[in-house]
Amino acid sequence: MSSYVDKDYFYYLRGRELLLYKLLGSRNENRITQSGVLQQYQNELVYPDEDIANGLRVEYTKVSEPFVSEALETTLSYASGTNISIAESNNTDIVTTTSNFWDTTSGFAVGDKIRIKGSSSNDGDHTIVSFQGTNNVILRTSSTLTTEASGQRIIIQQIPKEVSSPDSTSHINLNKMLSLAVVDYCKAMLSDRRGEIDKKEYYMKEFYSKLADNESNKRIISVASPINAYAVK
Amino acid sequence: MTVLELMERVGIKEETLTIAWVKDAIHLIQSNTKEKIDIHKQDIIDAHDSNDNVYILPRDLIAIENVSVLDTSASKYKKIKRLTNQPHYVVEDTSP
Repeated sequence: MSSYVDKDYFYYLRGRELLLYKLLGSRNENRITQSGVLQQYQNELVYPDEDIANGLRVEYTKVSEPFVSEALETTLSYASGTNISIAESNNTDIVTTTSNFWDTTSGFAVGDKIRIKGSSSNDGDHTIVSFQGTNNVILRTSSTLTTEASGQRIIIQQIPKEVSSPDSTSHINLNKMLSLAVVDYCKAMLSDRRGEIDKKEYYMKEFYSKLADNESNKRIISVASPINAYAVK
Repeated sequence: MTVLELMERVGIKEETLTIAWVKDAIHLIQSNTKEKIDIHKQDIIDAHDSNDNVYILPRDLIAIENVSVLDTSASKYKKIKRLTNQPHYVVEDTSP
């Protein structure tokens, strides 16, 4: 059993690899019999000496789904309720007792990609195939779901649907500000291709400026200067 | 914003080139900000051979946000610290 992992484990980055080490401290009963110790001046580091299923977790940024079928600003459909049952009569259906809940009230459409949250065993991403039943109370998905009675609050939210073969009609999977930053980036690349380095520099500066604006918008940062910074008193 | 709208704003007609530039731009955005975060998990193994402590990073990784290890006694992932230098003396242990 692993414990004190935040104090015992260390990692070192070597190119595309992560090297994991464990600190051999007084808490470790295997100190006397442990062989293959890597010694530092003060600490002794060994290779991990235990199996931990799904033990290593890396959180990272990645390029994923660069193009989607619908603009992020309109990917807003949302449903929530405690009267939603899953796969009770048909193993692909999500059923509510409210009339036209999926299409009219929540705004879902056939083909939308959805994410289920809050369910006991059906959390995950699915695609809407059709609406069924009287007053469209059934949302049919392309996935096989696990039977679950109503009672628990479940959230179903539309998420961007990736386009694997993008064309001119595909949307960039970024918000408006970052999409405008991409416009500046493309202008910079175009200027670079034409040999107009001064314009390239200008547009790259605009690109980074919009990235900064986007970040500060998230954190509600504002800078107010009461006097002109260059004023002469 | 669609690719077509972007092409019109930039004044370019090559669709494939534009798509490539958009991917480059998103890569650059991800290098500087945290627009899209993903999580990768893999098993930690008891080291029996050399290099058993070497774990391959996700191929689509751009920037690491944090690394954590599962504390099974508390059922929680806890962040671990990065070594700035590889441990001294031994770079590969053939009999761990």
